[in-house]
Amino acid sequence: MLSNVELKTTDPKHPFGKLTPRMQHYRDKILDAKPYVDAQRAILTTQAYQAHQQEQVDLLRAHVLAHILENMTIYIEPETLLAGNQAQSNRWAPIFPEYSMNWVIDELDQFEKRPGDVFYITEATKTQLREIAPFWKNNTLEDRGYAAFPKASRLFYDLGIIGAAGNITSGDGHIAVDYNNIITKGLKWYETRVLAEKAKLALTDINDQKKLYFYEASLVVIKAVRDFAKRYAQLAETQAKTCSDPAEKQNLLTMAEILHKVPYEPATTFREAVQAVWLTHLILQIESNGHSVSYGRVDQYLNPFYERDLAAGILTADQATELLTNLCLKTLTINKVRSWGHTQFSAGSPLYQNITIGGQTVTGEDAVNPLSYLILNAIAQAHLPQPNLTVRYHKGLSDDFMQACVAVIKEGLGMPAFNNDEIIIPSFMARGVKKADAYNYSAIGCVETAVPGKWGYRCTGMSFINFPRTLLIVMNGGVDPESGEKLLPDYGHFTDMTSYSQLATAWDKSLREMTRQSVIIENSCDLALEQNYPDILCSTLTEDCIGRGKTIKEGGAIYDFISGLQVGIANLADSLAAIKRFVFDEKQLSTTDLWTALQNDFAGPEGETVRQLLLTAPKYGNDDDFVDQLIVDAYAPYIDEIAKYKNTRYGRGPIGGLRYAGTSSISANVGQGHSTLATPDGRHARTPLAEGCSPEHAMDVDGPTAVFKSVSKLNTKEITGGVLLNQKMSPQVLRTPENCEKLIQLIRTFFNALHGYHVQYNIVSKATLLEAQAQPEKHRDLIVRVAGYSAFFVGLSKETQDDIIARTEQAL
Amino acid sequence: MTSQTATKGLIFNIQKFSLNDGPGIRTVVFFKGCPLRCQWCANPESQSGRPELMTAAAGTKKITVGTYQTVPEVLTEILKDKAFYDQSGGGVTFSGGEVLAQADFAIALAQAVKGQGIHLACETTGHAPFDVFKAFMPYFDLMYFDCKHWNPQVHLQGTGVTNDLILKNLRQALAANVPLKIRIPIIPDFNYSLDDAKHFGELFQELGVSEVELLPFHQFGLNKYQQLDRPYRLKDTPQLHGEDLLAFQATLAQYQVTAKINSW
Repeated sequence: MLSNVELKTTDPKHPFGKLTPRMQHYRDKILDAKPYVDAQRAILTTQAYQAHQQEQVDLLRAHVLAHILENMTIYIEPETLLAGNQAQSNRWAPIFPEYSMNWVIDELDQFEKRPGDVFYITEATKTQLREIAPFWKNNTLEDRGYAAFPKASRLFYDLGIIGAAGNITSGDGHIAVDYNNIITKGLKWYETRVLAEKAKLALTDINDQKKLYFYEASLVVIKAVRDFAKRYAQLAETQAKTCSDPAEKQNLLTMAEILHKVPYEPATTFREAVQAVWLTHLILQIESNGHSVSYGRVDQYLNPFYERDLAAGILTADQATELLTNLCLKTLTINKVRSWGHTQFSAGSPLYQNITIGGQTVTGEDAVNPLSYLILNAIAQAHLPQPNLTVRYHKGLSDDFMQACVAVIKEGLGMPAFNNDEIIIPSFMARGVKKADAYNYSAIGCVETAVPGKWGYRCTGMSFINFPRTLLIVMNGGVDPESGEKLLPDYGHFTDMTSYSQLATAWDKSLREMTRQSVIIENSCDLALEQNYPDILCSTLTEDCIGRGKTIKEGGAIYDFISGLQVGIANLADSLAAIKRFVFDEKQLSTTDLWTALQNDFAGPEGETVRQLLLTAPKYGNDDDFVDQLIVDAYAPYIDEIAKYKNTRYGRGPIGGLRYAGTSSISANVGQGHSTLATPDGRHARTPLAEGCSPEHAMDVDGPTAVFKSVSKLNTKEITGGVLLNQKMSPQVLRTPENCEKLIQLIRTFFNALHGYHVQYNIVSKATLLEAQAQPEKHRDLIVRVAGYSAFFVGLSKETQDDIIARTEQAL
Repeated sequence: MTSQTATKGLIFNIQKFSLNDGPGIRTVVFFKGCPLRCQWCANPESQSGRPELMTAAAGTKKITVGTYQTVPEVLTEILKDKAFYDQSGGGVTFSGGEVLAQADFAIALAQAVKGQGIHLACETTGHAPFDVFKAFMPYFDLMYFDCKHWNPQVHLQGTGVTNDLILKNLRQALAANVPLKIRIPIIPDFNYSLDDAKHFGELFQELGVSEVELLPFHQFGLNKYQQLDRPYRLKDTPQLHGEDLLAFQATLAQYQVTAKINSW
């Protein structure tokens, strides 16, 4: 089997094989590239808007993309086998002025001074951006979104209780198109369909007339994509003329030949297919700056090309791997600059460009193929934060493949993450997704899931609701203690409450109101996006936009379910547990003393005494029914309420048009934590909230099985937007092959028996172990495992810790 | 013999996701109280047969080590991870302390665990009266049996007891075909010499034992002595690693004893 050949190489230091010197060099250059703010796309966009502002919006948007693709700087680096660049240089971040421009101008002098996610900017760029800024005044998505917010709802947004900065300052993203269709049929297939549908229109009908604009816009972008590929073909030919190295010259000529063909024509070889995928993926991220634009099930659609070329003797496994690493490196060149406010929700300038592998075929067989293994190797070789790799888990996934996955996990990239077919597929089918489509889902971004090419934007990624802050507002009689604003009805102040059920009732009613506000905010953003910012290429490539003559936002997609993110699940759980146990059940603490301590952020010895007591309450993540049931109950009103509110596409074509819950907080837990005062779980004011549905940091002291048990009690089948769980594992635990096998069994149990949705492993780094030595109280959950021994890492002596650190580095 | 609900055991930890105490994913139940006083003991809080105070690993707070628990209480905790045992071929391991020091409770708990169809192992010093051990051993699908020294007098110096009872029980376990894994904790200046290896080799040959596990000495327990405010004679003894035991392993091999090094 190929897997054995590929994974069991003789070099123990490089079990996945090494990058080719060519890709190694390319990688070094990309990682060394300084991220600059790039004004070029902004200038071209401004020109196109000025030239086409009279057009119907679909045509306006199509001409914008066409103008950019026709005029932007293109280049082919000497190392790459794939052509296509997003900005004037690798890792430069283009500005998308149509979505938001105010923060760009406000932060021009701050980009280089940020505490994290620094972007460089030249004075010339600043001048260029200032010059175009007046055109965009009151003329961006952000301006239109704000204008669309009902006044009362705006307050929730402004105070940061409901976060939607990504929705109002960026395009949508959170989508995968149908690459299988694109590479096997070519864009010309879409063109033919558009022409056929266009020919059927009866233009006396205003609805048909509206479709005409969409079809004409589609034709504009398909031609623009074709011409863009030809620009690269011609550039490759030009570079070939002056290339003295015969092999490199041939490479450029091959590249030219490929780009004269794809993505307009179907691909015939593996390299053509990869080029077609890359260029399309790239253009989608020039069209819009929404993140989480994903590749879908790459092993499924590329493997036929791989096996065909292999059989024909025109490609080797090593060459295929090199192309895949090239794709990974190209993926990393895409960059995005966000406002500082938004950056706190998405730290590390991530684009969440996901590759999904594994899973099942439509008939329920294991879909792992030779290319699944090559992709694992490529990800390990490239060793980059992007793309994100997800493995679709199912019961029939072989141990051999799981072992290959764990080997990559041990590389410490936090990848692959696992999504579970066993819960996601039935959950989709229960919501009306056809079996063939449900079995073909892929991860979008990180944890969320959708059917590539058939699903609208943002299967998750709508608004973020801050649950712990909502609790503080409820406790404070509907007034936000942070701002003093009255936001929710007064169901009584916490200090006047005499029973937990009073608090639970107030929570239920208030959360439902918060949920309604989030819907209003989301709809305001969607309205402004639909009316002004259709993505014509993305819509053209999404079924059944062509059939319906509608963009995705107008209801063009076959499926359209969305979800927001509920942030601070664990903090809410632990807060409720502490209140119930110590205030109402055991009466160790009065409501007034707790409230006072929270208001003072546990200041002084009295405050600290309260905090220490709160920390001894049962904590979510330890398989303790007392606290786990409290969060299940507290989450229920949201799950119930959100299902009532249709999205803006309901009844306009898609199956669904609905909303469900989701917990992939990304880094919103940090941003929203910053605006959250001290909470009853003992968390200090302004410190981060817990991420996703993971336990609060260092509170899960009963090991990974207990965490899985707690998480599995959540109502996962209703939280279809994703149940994000990050687990960390000390390298000491995974030192032997036997223990790696036990990790596989751990994952299998979570997915097979406990119906978990997602898990991702972070192998604890040396830096974290060193930090645990210095601050043991923050790392009391770090486990070590030795025969017949009972303790945690922080309980070891410094010398033993040092020894473990030294030896585990070696073991990895 | 024992009524399940009436019997309480002194337990100092129930540790889930244990990986080095038997096959699969396991929960280890740590029994408190031990007749031995091994100088290298990594769980010194397990030695006293009474609850005791210990400073917390992080901080200055005093915590009580050891609580009396009933069979149903311990079983409830064990059953929480049943799905993991079933999937991984794992189960439960009794450890200590010395399980045999609370033999009645251990047997009652063992009956309960076996009643749930869960794989059961134990880690034991083997130091118990012959009849107690005889009643105890049938409940276990696997026993990790420590053989700390071949010489009764050195055994006494290192652990506070001779190996007489231990070897007697080892013989009866072997005779009864209890699935056994014999473990030697390799401790510098106690049983680490190649001469010791030779004698162990002779002993195992005589017992008909062909496979053992070697556990290199580690200092994972060092801080616990401070937390218990108790002296620790081996505090300056360097840890051993897998590679330090290769010669010992080779010597055992001369006696047709295969030694697996179970490094930390």
